[in-house]
Amino acid sequence: MTKLIFERPIIQRINAGLPSKYGMAHKLEPISHIDNVSIKSLMDSYGSPLFIISESTIRKTYKNAFRAFSSRYPKVQFAWSYKTNYLNAVCNVFHQEGSWAEVVSGFEYDKAIANGVPGELIIFNGPDKSRQDLEKAIKNGSLIHIDHFDELYEIISLSKEIEERPKVAIRVNMDTGIYPRWDRFGFNYENGEAWDALNRIMANKKLDLLGLHTHIGTYMMSTDAYKIAATKLASLAVRLEQKHGHVLQYIDMGGGFASKNTLRGAYYPGTDTTPSFDDFAEAITSAFMSSEIKPDNLPLLILENGRALIDDAGYLAGTVLANKRLADGRRATIIDAGVNILFTAFWYEHDIRPVEPVSEQTEDTTIYGPLCMNIDVIRGNVMFPLLKKGDHYVIRRVGAYNNTQWLQFISMRPNVVMIDSKGEPHLIRKNETLETINSQELTPEHLKNFDL
Amino acid sequence: MLKIKKNIAISDSGFVFDPGTGDSYSLNPTGLEIVQMIKSGKSFEEIFQDFATKYEVEEEAFEKYYYDFTTTLKQLRLTEPNGED
Repeated sequence: MTKLIFERPIIQRINAGLPSKYGMAHKLEPISHIDNVSIKSLMDSYGSPLFIISESTIRKTYKNAFRAFSSRYPKVQFAWSYKTNYLNAVCNVFHQEGSWAEVVSGFEYDKAIANGVPGELIIFNGPDKSRQDLEKAIKNGSLIHIDHFDELYEIISLSKEIEERPKVAIRVNMDTGIYPRWDRFGFNYENGEAWDALNRIMANKKLDLLGLHTHIGTYMMSTDAYKIAATKLASLAVRLEQKHGHVLQYIDMGGGFASKNTLRGAYYPGTDTTPSFDDFAEAITSAFMSSEIKPDNLPLLILENGRALIDDAGYLAGTVLANKRLADGRRATIIDAGVNILFTAFWYEHDIRPVEPVSEQTEDTTIYGPLCMNIDVIRGNVMFPLLKKGDHYVIRRVGAYNNTQWLQFISMRPNVVMIDSKGEPHLIRKNETLETINSQELTPEHLKNFDL
Repeated sequence: MLKIKKNIAISDSGFVFDPGTGDSYSLNPTGLEIVQMIKSGKSFEEIFQDFATKYEVEEEAFEKYYYDFTTTLKQLRLTEPNGED
Protein backbone atom coordinates (compact mmCIF):
# COMPACT_ATOMS: atom_id res chain seq x y z
CA MET A 1 0.00 0.00 0.00
CA THR A 2 1.34 3.47 -0.89
CA LYS A 3 1.79 5.65 2.14
CA LEU A 4 0.25 9.10 2.32
CA ILE A 5 2.30 12.31 2.24
CA PHE A 6 2.82 13.54 5.80
CA GLU A 7 1.82 17.11 6.49
CA ARG A 8 3.03 18.64 9.72
CA PRO A 9 0.20 18.97 12.29
CA ILE A 10 -1.10 22.46 13.05
CA ILE A 11 -3.82 24.13 15.09
CA GLN A 12 -4.92 27.66 14.36
CA ARG A 13 -7.17 30.08 16.18
CA ILE A 14 -10.24 31.07 14.20
CA ASN A 15 -10.68 34.82 14.19
CA ALA A 16 -14.28 35.83 13.64
CA GLY A 17 -14.74 38.82 11.39
CA LEU A 18 -11.35 38.40 9.71
CA PRO A 19 -12.57 37.85 6.14
CA SER A 20 -13.08 41.11 4.29
CA LYS A 21 -15.44 41.69 1.41
CA TYR A 22 -12.74 40.11 -0.75
CA GLY A 23 -13.22 36.78 1.04
CA MET A 24 -10.83 34.42 2.74
CA ALA A 25 -7.20 34.17 1.72
CA HIS A 26 -6.91 31.93 -1.29
CA LYS A 27 -4.65 28.96 -1.57
CA LEU A 28 -1.17 29.69 -2.91
CA GLU A 29 -0.99 27.50 -6.00
CA PRO A 30 2.37 25.77 -6.39
CA ILE A 31 4.62 26.65 -9.33
CA SER A 32 6.52 23.53 -10.31
CA HIS A 33 7.67 24.51 -13.80
CA ILE A 34 8.93 27.62 -15.59
CA ASP A 35 8.52 27.48 -19.37
CA ASN A 36 7.82 23.73 -19.01
CA VAL A 37 11.14 23.15 -17.24
CA SER A 38 10.95 21.56 -13.79
CA ILE A 39 12.21 23.96 -11.10
CA LYS A 40 13.28 20.98 -8.98
CA SER A 41 15.42 19.56 -11.81
CA LEU A 42 17.06 22.97 -12.32
CA MET A 43 17.99 23.12 -8.63
CA ASP A 44 19.32 19.54 -8.80
CA SER A 45 21.64 20.66 -11.62
CA TYR A 46 22.54 24.20 -10.60
CA GLY A 47 22.09 24.30 -6.83
CA SER A 48 19.87 26.13 -4.39
CA PRO A 49 19.06 28.99 -4.23
CA LEU A 50 18.96 29.68 -7.95
CA PHE A 51 17.92 32.62 -10.09
CA ILE A 52 15.96 31.50 -13.14
CA ILE A 53 15.29 33.89 -16.03
CA SER A 54 12.77 33.15 -18.76
CA GLU A 55 13.98 34.39 -22.16
CA SER A 56 10.57 33.94 -23.74
CA THR A 57 8.94 36.09 -21.01
CA ILE A 58 11.46 38.89 -21.69
CA ARG A 59 10.73 38.78 -25.42
CA LYS A 60 6.97 38.59 -24.91
CA THR A 61 6.97 41.52 -22.46
CA TYR A 62 9.21 43.59 -24.74
CA LYS A 63 6.97 43.01 -27.76
CA ASN A 64 3.88 43.83 -25.75
CA ALA A 65 5.39 47.11 -24.50
CA PHE A 66 6.81 48.11 -27.88
CA ARG A 67 3.51 47.42 -29.63
CA ALA A 68 1.70 49.66 -27.12
CA PHE A 69 3.88 52.62 -28.18
CA SER A 70 4.54 51.87 -31.86
CA SER A 71 0.83 51.45 -32.56
CA ARG A 72 0.21 54.98 -31.26
CA TYR A 73 3.27 56.94 -32.36
CA PRO A 74 5.33 56.86 -35.59
CA LYS A 75 8.88 56.80 -34.19
CA VAL A 76 9.65 54.75 -31.07
CA GLN A 77 12.93 53.42 -29.69
CA PHE A 78 13.59 51.45 -26.50
CA ALA A 79 16.93 51.60 -24.69
CA TRP A 80 17.67 48.84 -22.19
CA SER A 81 18.33 50.19 -18.70
CA TYR A 82 21.56 48.41 -17.78
CA LYS A 83 21.31 49.13 -14.06
CA THR A 84 18.08 47.12 -13.82
CA ASN A 85 19.79 43.93 -14.91
CA TYR A 86 23.16 44.00 -16.64
CA LEU A 87 23.78 40.30 -16.95
CA ASN A 88 25.16 40.13 -20.49
CA ALA A 89 22.73 37.42 -21.61
CA VAL A 90 19.78 39.53 -20.43
CA CYS A 91 21.12 42.69 -22.13
CA ASN A 92 21.65 40.80 -25.37
CA VAL A 93 18.07 39.51 -25.44
CA PHE A 94 16.96 43.15 -25.34
CA HIS A 95 19.55 44.15 -27.96
CA GLN A 96 18.34 41.31 -30.21
CA GLU A 97 14.83 42.70 -29.85
CA GLY A 98 16.10 46.11 -30.99
CA SER A 99 16.90 47.95 -27.76
CA TRP A 100 19.73 50.44 -27.58
CA ALA A 101 21.70 50.61 -24.30
CA GLU A 102 21.04 53.11 -21.50
CA VAL A 103 23.92 53.30 -19.05
CA VAL A 104 24.67 55.38 -15.96
CA SER A 105 28.38 54.81 -15.28
CA GLY A 106 31.67 54.26 -17.04
CA PHE A 107 31.50 50.60 -16.00
CA GLU A 108 28.06 50.12 -17.56
CA TYR A 109 29.21 52.03 -20.65
CA ASP A 110 32.14 49.65 -21.11
CA LYS A 111 29.82 46.68 -20.54
CA ALA A 112 27.53 47.85 -23.35
CA ILE A 113 30.51 48.36 -25.70
CA ALA A 114 31.82 44.88 -24.76
CA ASN A 115 28.39 43.44 -25.56
CA GLY A 116 28.79 44.87 -29.05
CA VAL A 117 26.40 47.83 -28.86
CA PRO A 118 27.57 50.52 -31.35
CA GLY A 119 28.73 53.64 -29.49
CA GLU A 120 26.19 55.87 -31.23
CA LEU A 121 23.36 53.70 -29.85
CA ILE A 122 24.39 54.12 -26.23
CA ILE A 123 22.60 56.67 -24.06
CA PHE A 124 24.87 57.88 -21.27
CA ASN A 125 22.82 59.05 -18.27
CA GLY A 126 23.67 59.49 -14.63
CA PRO A 127 25.35 62.15 -12.50
CA ASP A 128 28.76 60.43 -12.51
CA LYS A 129 30.65 60.67 -15.81
CA SER A 130 34.41 61.18 -15.49
CA ARG A 131 36.37 63.26 -18.01
CA GLN A 132 37.72 59.99 -19.44
CA ASP A 133 34.17 58.57 -19.70
CA LEU A 134 32.98 61.71 -21.50
CA GLU A 135 35.95 61.72 -23.86
CA LYS A 136 35.26 58.10 -24.81
CA ALA A 137 31.54 58.77 -25.26
CA ILE A 138 32.19 61.83 -27.46
CA LYS A 139 34.64 59.92 -29.67
CA ASN A 140 32.13 57.04 -30.00
CA GLY A 141 29.31 59.41 -30.93
CA SER A 142 27.22 58.31 -27.93
CA LEU A 143 24.24 60.31 -26.72
CA ILE A 144 25.35 62.14 -23.59
CA HIS A 145 22.54 63.26 -21.31
CA ILE A 146 23.89 66.19 -19.33
CA ASP A 147 23.02 66.14 -15.64
CA HIS A 148 24.48 69.42 -14.33
CA PHE A 149 26.36 72.56 -15.41
CA ASP A 150 29.72 71.15 -14.25
CA GLU A 151 29.24 68.35 -16.75
CA LEU A 152 28.13 70.75 -19.48
CA TYR A 153 31.30 72.81 -19.09
CA GLU A 154 33.45 69.67 -18.96
CA ILE A 155 31.96 68.67 -22.32
CA ILE A 156 32.48 72.17 -23.72
CA SER A 157 36.10 72.00 -22.55
CA LEU A 158 36.55 68.57 -24.19
CA SER A 159 34.94 69.76 -27.40
CA LYS A 160 37.90 72.11 -27.89
CA GLU A 161 40.33 69.16 -27.75
CA ILE A 162 38.40 66.51 -29.67
CA GLU A 163 37.46 66.66 -33.33
CA GLU A 164 34.12 64.91 -32.96
CA ARG A 165 31.18 67.11 -32.02
CA PRO A 166 29.58 65.93 -28.76
CA LYS A 167 26.00 64.70 -29.22
CA VAL A 168 24.07 65.84 -26.19
CA ALA A 169 20.68 66.12 -24.58
CA ILE A 170 19.83 67.68 -21.25
CA ARG A 171 18.13 65.93 -18.40
CA VAL A 172 15.10 67.86 -17.15
CA ASN A 173 13.36 67.47 -13.79
CA MET A 174 9.97 68.97 -13.09
CA ASP A 175 6.81 68.96 -11.04
CA THR A 176 4.58 66.25 -12.48
CA GLY A 177 2.10 66.31 -9.61
CA ILE A 178 3.58 63.35 -7.78
CA TYR A 179 5.19 62.94 -4.40
CA PRO A 180 8.10 62.60 -3.82
CA ARG A 181 9.10 65.03 -6.55
CA TRP A 182 12.35 63.98 -8.11
CA ASP A 183 14.53 67.02 -8.61
CA ARG A 184 18.02 65.61 -8.36
CA PHE A 185 18.49 64.56 -11.97
CA GLY A 186 19.23 67.25 -14.49
CA PHE A 187 18.00 70.83 -14.72
CA ASN A 188 14.75 72.09 -13.29
CA TYR A 189 11.93 73.04 -15.64
CA GLU A 190 9.89 75.35 -13.43
CA ASN A 191 12.72 77.60 -12.22
CA GLY A 192 14.01 78.11 -15.76
CA GLU A 193 17.30 76.28 -15.32
CA ALA A 194 16.51 73.79 -18.08
CA TRP A 195 15.73 76.58 -20.55
CA ASP A 196 18.93 78.35 -19.47
CA ALA A 197 20.99 75.17 -20.10
CA LEU A 198 19.44 74.76 -23.56
CA ASN A 199 20.27 78.37 -24.46
CA ARG A 200 23.86 77.98 -23.30
CA ILE A 201 24.26 74.84 -25.45
CA MET A 202 22.77 76.58 -28.48
CA ALA A 203 25.03 79.59 -27.93
CA ASN A 204 28.13 77.45 -27.71
CA LYS A 205 27.80 76.01 -31.23
CA LYS A 206 30.31 73.23 -30.59
CA LEU A 207 27.73 70.79 -29.26
CA ASP A 208 25.01 68.98 -31.21
CA LEU A 209 21.84 69.28 -29.16
CA LEU A 210 19.81 66.24 -30.17
CA GLY A 211 17.22 65.76 -27.49
CA LEU A 212 15.61 66.16 -24.09
CA HIS A 213 15.44 63.60 -21.35
CA THR A 214 13.56 63.15 -18.10
CA HIS A 215 13.42 60.55 -15.38
CA ILE A 216 10.42 61.50 -13.29
CA GLY A 217 10.44 58.68 -10.75
CA THR A 218 10.42 54.97 -10.15
CA TYR A 219 7.61 52.43 -9.70
CA MET A 220 5.21 55.05 -11.06
CA MET A 221 1.56 54.13 -10.57
CA SER A 222 0.26 57.28 -12.24
CA THR A 223 0.13 57.73 -16.01
CA ASP A 224 -0.90 61.37 -15.57
CA ALA A 225 2.60 62.24 -14.36
CA TYR A 226 4.01 61.06 -17.70
CA LYS A 227 1.44 63.09 -19.57
CA ILE A 228 2.46 66.22 -17.66
CA ALA A 229 6.15 65.49 -18.22
CA ALA A 230 5.66 64.87 -21.95
CA THR A 231 3.68 68.11 -22.27
CA LYS A 232 6.39 70.13 -20.52
CA LEU A 233 9.20 68.63 -22.60
CA ALA A 234 7.18 69.21 -25.80
CA SER A 235 6.82 72.88 -24.81
CA LEU A 236 10.62 73.15 -24.44
CA ALA A 237 11.04 71.60 -27.90
CA VAL A 238 8.59 74.13 -29.36
CA ARG A 239 10.38 77.07 -27.71
CA LEU A 240 13.72 75.85 -29.07
CA GLU A 241 12.31 75.79 -32.58
CA GLN A 242 10.72 79.20 -32.18
CA LYS A 243 13.81 80.90 -30.75
CA HIS A 244 16.69 79.06 -32.44
CA GLY A 245 15.01 77.33 -35.38
CA HIS A 246 16.42 74.14 -33.92
CA VAL A 247 14.45 70.90 -34.31
CA LEU A 248 15.14 68.22 -31.71
CA GLN A 249 15.64 64.68 -32.94
CA TYR A 250 14.32 62.89 -29.88
CA ILE A 251 12.60 63.15 -26.53
CA ASP A 252 13.53 60.50 -24.00
CA MET A 253 10.84 59.87 -21.38
CA GLY A 254 13.10 57.72 -19.20
CA GLY A 255 11.69 54.73 -17.39
CA GLY A 256 9.97 54.15 -14.08
CA PHE A 257 6.87 52.21 -15.11
CA ALA A 258 5.68 50.06 -12.20
CA SER A 259 5.88 46.28 -12.48
CA LYS A 260 3.17 43.96 -11.17
CA ASN A 261 4.90 43.41 -7.84
CA THR A 262 2.99 44.52 -4.75
CA LEU A 263 4.58 47.28 -2.68
CA ARG A 264 4.89 46.65 1.05
CA GLY A 265 1.86 47.98 2.83
CA ALA A 266 -0.23 48.28 -0.34
CA TYR A 267 -3.89 47.30 0.16
CA TYR A 268 -4.46 45.98 -3.34
CA PRO A 269 -2.07 43.63 -5.15
CA GLY A 270 0.15 45.11 -7.87
CA THR A 271 -1.47 42.84 -10.45
CA ASP A 272 -4.70 44.84 -9.93
CA THR A 273 -3.29 48.35 -9.63
CA THR A 274 -0.35 48.64 -12.04
CA PRO A 275 -1.21 50.58 -15.21
CA SER A 276 -0.71 48.62 -18.43
CA PHE A 277 1.82 49.52 -21.12
CA ASP A 278 -1.14 50.76 -23.17
CA ASP A 279 -2.12 53.14 -20.36
CA PHE A 280 1.40 54.62 -20.17
CA ALA A 281 1.69 54.75 -23.96
CA GLU A 282 -1.63 56.53 -24.32
CA ALA A 283 -0.65 59.20 -21.77
CA ILE A 284 2.76 59.91 -23.31
CA THR A 285 1.94 59.73 -27.02
CA SER A 286 -1.28 61.72 -26.73
CA ALA A 287 0.67 64.53 -25.05
CA PHE A 288 3.12 64.66 -27.97
CA MET A 289 0.47 64.33 -30.66
CA SER A 290 -1.61 67.14 -29.18
CA SER A 291 1.38 69.43 -28.51
CA GLU A 292 2.40 72.38 -30.68
CA ILE A 293 5.23 70.36 -32.25
CA LYS A 294 4.77 70.40 -36.05
CA PRO A 295 3.73 66.96 -37.34
CA ASP A 296 6.80 66.75 -39.61
CA ASN A 297 9.07 67.51 -36.65
CA LEU A 298 7.69 64.95 -34.21
CA PRO A 299 10.75 63.69 -32.32
CA LEU A 300 11.78 60.07 -31.90
CA LEU A 301 10.24 58.86 -28.64
CA ILE A 302 12.80 56.99 -26.54
CA LEU A 303 11.90 54.92 -23.48
CA GLU A 304 14.34 53.47 -20.99
CA ASN A 305 12.12 51.10 -19.08
CA GLY A 306 13.82 48.45 -17.01
CA ARG A 307 11.70 47.14 -14.15
CA ALA A 308 8.46 46.72 -16.11
CA LEU A 309 10.26 44.81 -18.87
CA ILE A 310 12.28 42.34 -16.81
CA ASP A 311 10.60 41.82 -13.41
CA ASP A 312 8.17 39.14 -14.61
CA ALA A 313 10.92 37.13 -16.31
CA GLY A 314 12.94 36.54 -13.12
CA TYR A 315 12.36 33.83 -10.49
CA LEU A 316 14.30 32.92 -7.38
CA ALA A 317 13.94 29.26 -6.38
CA GLY A 318 15.32 27.64 -3.26
CA THR A 319 14.92 25.36 -0.29
CA VAL A 320 13.34 25.60 3.16
CA LEU A 321 16.09 25.36 5.80
CA ALA A 322 13.99 25.17 8.97
CA ASN A 323 10.76 25.99 10.72
CA LYS A 324 10.45 27.47 14.17
CA ARG A 325 7.89 29.13 16.38
CA LEU A 326 8.13 32.78 17.39
CA ALA A 327 7.43 34.15 20.87
CA ASP A 328 3.85 35.05 19.96
CA GLY A 329 3.16 31.57 18.61
CA ARG A 330 3.42 32.51 14.94
CA ARG A 331 5.32 30.31 12.54
CA ALA A 332 8.75 31.29 11.21
CA THR A 333 10.08 29.61 8.12
CA ILE A 334 13.75 30.05 7.24
CA ILE A 335 14.67 29.80 3.58
CA ASP A 336 18.06 29.76 1.88
CA ALA A 337 17.68 33.12 0.06
CA GLY A 338 18.28 36.27 2.06
CA VAL A 339 17.87 39.99 1.47
CA ASN A 340 21.48 40.12 0.29
CA ILE A 341 20.42 38.42 -2.95
CA LEU A 342 16.78 39.52 -2.88
CA PHE A 343 17.26 43.22 -2.29
CA THR A 344 13.73 43.99 -3.52
CA ALA A 345 12.28 42.21 -0.45
CA PHE A 346 12.85 45.54 1.34
CA TRP A 347 10.07 47.20 -0.65
CA TYR A 348 7.94 44.40 -2.16
CA GLU A 349 5.62 41.81 -0.71
CA HIS A 350 7.02 39.21 -3.04
CA ASP A 351 4.79 36.46 -4.36
CA ILE A 352 6.37 33.34 -2.87
CA ARG A 353 4.96 29.93 -3.79
CA PRO A 354 5.61 26.31 -2.99
CA VAL A 355 7.17 24.20 -5.75
CA GLU A 356 5.72 20.85 -4.62
CA PRO A 357 1.97 20.17 -4.22
CA VAL A 358 0.55 21.34 -0.87
CA SER A 359 -2.71 20.96 0.99
CA GLU A 360 -5.26 23.71 1.56
CA GLN A 361 -3.76 24.35 5.02
CA THR A 362 -1.88 27.59 5.61
CA GLU A 363 -0.37 29.22 8.65
CA ASP A 364 0.40 32.83 9.54
CA THR A 365 4.10 32.79 8.74
CA THR A 366 7.10 35.09 8.75
CA ILE A 367 9.62 34.06 6.12
CA TYR A 368 13.23 34.74 7.06
CA GLY A 369 16.36 34.47 4.97
CA PRO A 370 19.45 32.57 6.17
CA LEU A 371 21.50 35.60 7.27
CA CYS A 372 22.39 36.12 10.92
CA MET A 373 20.76 39.55 10.74
CA ASN A 374 17.43 40.62 12.20
CA ILE A 375 16.57 42.58 9.04
CA ASP A 376 16.71 39.47 6.87
CA VAL A 377 12.96 39.17 6.37
CA ILE A 378 11.63 38.04 3.00
CA ARG A 379 7.92 38.25 3.95
CA GLY A 380 6.84 39.75 7.25
CA ASN A 381 3.39 38.24 7.32
CA VAL A 382 1.96 35.76 4.88
CA MET A 383 -0.57 32.94 5.06
CA PHE A 384 1.81 30.27 3.85
CA PRO A 385 1.47 26.53 3.21
CA LEU A 386 3.04 24.11 5.69
CA LEU A 387 6.41 23.63 4.05
CA LYS A 388 8.90 21.38 5.79
CA LYS A 389 12.70 21.41 5.88
CA GLY A 390 13.93 20.43 2.43
CA ASP A 391 10.76 21.52 0.60
CA HIS A 392 11.18 24.03 -2.20
CA TYR A 393 9.82 27.48 -2.87
CA VAL A 394 9.92 29.88 -5.79
CA ILE A 395 9.63 33.68 -5.64
CA ARG A 396 8.10 35.44 -8.64
CA ARG A 397 8.96 38.76 -10.30
CA VAL A 398 12.53 39.19 -9.14
CA GLY A 399 14.08 40.08 -12.52
CA ALA A 400 14.62 43.78 -11.79
CA TYR A 401 17.47 45.13 -9.67
CA ASN A 402 18.27 41.94 -7.75
CA ASN A 403 21.07 40.78 -10.08
CA THR A 404 22.64 44.25 -9.94
CA GLN A 405 22.07 45.33 -6.33
CA TRP A 406 22.79 41.96 -4.73
CA LEU A 407 25.55 41.70 -2.17
CA GLN A 408 28.13 39.11 -1.38
CA PHE A 409 27.35 39.13 2.33
CA ILE A 410 27.69 36.18 4.73
CA SER A 411 26.91 33.80 1.88
CA MET A 412 27.82 33.71 -1.80
CA ARG A 413 25.77 34.88 -4.75
CA PRO A 414 24.21 31.86 -6.49
CA ASN A 415 24.06 30.64 -10.07
CA VAL A 416 21.79 32.35 -12.57
CA VAL A 417 20.29 30.28 -15.39
CA MET A 418 18.30 31.44 -18.37
CA ILE A 419 15.73 29.17 -20.00
CA ASP A 420 15.85 29.86 -23.72
CA SER A 421 12.83 30.04 -25.99
CA LYS A 422 13.12 26.30 -26.71
CA GLY A 423 13.11 25.36 -23.03
CA GLU A 424 16.87 24.74 -22.76
CA PRO A 425 18.51 26.04 -19.58
CA HIS A 426 21.84 27.91 -19.86
CA LEU A 427 24.09 28.94 -17.00
CA ILE A 428 24.55 32.71 -17.54
CA ARG A 429 26.36 33.65 -14.32
CA LYS A 430 28.40 31.29 -12.19
CA ASN A 431 27.97 31.18 -8.44
CA GLU A 432 30.70 32.70 -6.33
CA THR A 433 33.09 30.59 -4.29
CA LEU A 434 35.59 31.31 -1.54
CA GLU A 435 38.21 31.59 -4.30
CA THR A 436 36.18 34.32 -6.05
CA ILE A 437 36.25 36.41 -2.90
CA ASN A 438 39.79 35.61 -1.80
CA SER A 439 41.20 36.28 -5.27
CA GLN A 440 40.47 39.99 -4.74
CA GLU A 441 42.18 40.16 -1.34
CA LEU A 442 45.81 40.83 -0.51
CA THR A 443 47.20 39.89 2.91
CA PRO A 444 50.36 41.74 3.98
CA GLU A 445 53.33 39.42 4.59
CA HIS A 446 53.43 40.08 8.37
CA LEU A 447 49.76 39.04 8.71
CA LYS A 448 50.01 35.74 6.88
CA ASN A 449 50.83 33.59 9.92
CA PHE A 450 49.68 33.37 13.50
CA ASP A 451 49.99 31.06 16.48
CA LEU A 452 46.95 30.31 18.57
CA MET B 1 0.80 11.54 29.88
CA LEU B 2 -0.36 14.57 27.98
CA LYS B 3 -4.09 15.04 28.38
CA ILE B 4 -6.52 17.20 26.44
CA LYS B 5 -8.85 19.14 28.76
CA LYS B 6 -12.14 17.29 29.22
CA ASN B 7 -14.34 20.26 28.37
CA ILE B 8 -12.72 20.89 24.96
CA ALA B 9 -15.12 20.00 22.13
CA ILE B 10 -13.52 18.51 19.04
CA SER B 11 -15.56 17.75 15.92
CA ASP B 12 -14.74 15.08 13.34
CA SER B 13 -13.84 17.78 10.83
CA GLY B 14 -11.16 19.31 13.06
CA PHE B 15 -13.15 22.17 14.60
CA VAL B 16 -12.13 22.79 18.21
CA PHE B 17 -14.10 24.82 20.76
CA ASP B 18 -12.84 25.87 24.16
CA PRO B 19 -15.89 26.78 26.32
CA GLY B 20 -13.57 28.17 29.01
CA THR B 21 -12.37 31.03 26.80
CA GLY B 22 -14.89 31.03 23.96
CA ASP B 23 -12.02 30.57 21.48
CA SER B 24 -12.38 28.25 18.55
CA TYR B 25 -9.63 26.62 16.51
CA SER B 26 -9.17 24.51 13.44
CA LEU B 27 -6.93 21.48 13.13
CA ASN B 28 -5.48 20.14 9.91
CA PRO B 29 -6.08 16.39 9.29
CA THR B 30 -2.79 15.22 10.86
CA GLY B 31 -3.34 17.55 13.81
CA LEU B 32 -6.83 16.12 14.30
CA GLU B 33 -5.52 12.54 14.23
CA ILE B 34 -2.88 13.32 16.84
CA VAL B 35 -5.39 15.07 19.13
CA GLN B 36 -7.79 12.14 18.86
CA MET B 37 -5.00 9.68 19.65
CA ILE B 38 -3.90 11.76 22.66
CA LYS B 39 -7.52 11.83 23.84
CA SER B 40 -7.72 8.05 23.57
CA GLY B 41 -4.69 7.83 25.86
CA LYS B 42 -2.02 6.77 23.36
CA SER B 43 1.64 7.46 24.10
CA PHE B 44 4.04 9.17 21.69
CA GLU B 45 5.47 5.79 20.65
CA GLU B 46 2.02 4.38 19.88
CA ILE B 47 1.04 7.50 17.96
CA PHE B 48 4.26 7.36 15.92
CA GLN B 49 3.66 3.66 15.12
CA ASP B 50 0.19 4.48 13.79
CA PHE B 51 1.54 7.39 11.71
CA ALA B 52 4.50 5.41 10.36
CA THR B 53 2.10 2.76 9.05
CA LYS B 54 -0.12 5.29 7.33
CA TYR B 55 2.24 8.12 6.29
CA GLU B 56 5.62 8.55 4.66
CA VAL B 57 7.44 9.95 7.68
CA GLU B 58 10.69 9.28 9.56
CA GLU B 59 10.65 9.10 13.36
CA GLU B 60 13.02 12.07 13.75
CA ALA B 61 10.88 14.32 11.57
CA PHE B 62 7.70 13.13 13.25
CA GLU B 63 9.08 13.70 16.73
CA LYS B 64 10.11 17.25 15.79
CA TYR B 65 6.69 18.17 14.44
CA TYR B 66 4.81 16.26 17.21
CA TYR B 67 6.51 18.18 20.02
CA ASP B 68 6.15 21.49 18.20
CA PHE B 69 2.43 20.74 17.85
CA THR B 70 1.88 19.65 21.43
CA THR B 71 3.78 22.71 22.67
CA THR B 72 1.29 24.83 20.76
CA LEU B 73 -1.60 22.92 22.35
CA LYS B 74 -0.12 23.73 25.76
CA GLN B 75 0.40 27.39 24.84
CA LEU B 76 -3.24 27.58 23.81
CA ARG B 77 -4.17 26.01 27.19
CA LEU B 78 -6.00 23.12 25.58
CA THR B 79 -4.18 20.55 27.72
CA GLU B 80 -4.50 19.73 31.42
CA PRO B 81 -1.96 21.83 33.38
CA ASN B 82 -0.66 18.78 35.22
CA GLY B 83 -1.39 16.35 32.47
CA GLU B 84 2.20 15.23 32.05
CA ASP B 85 4.27 12.73 33.98
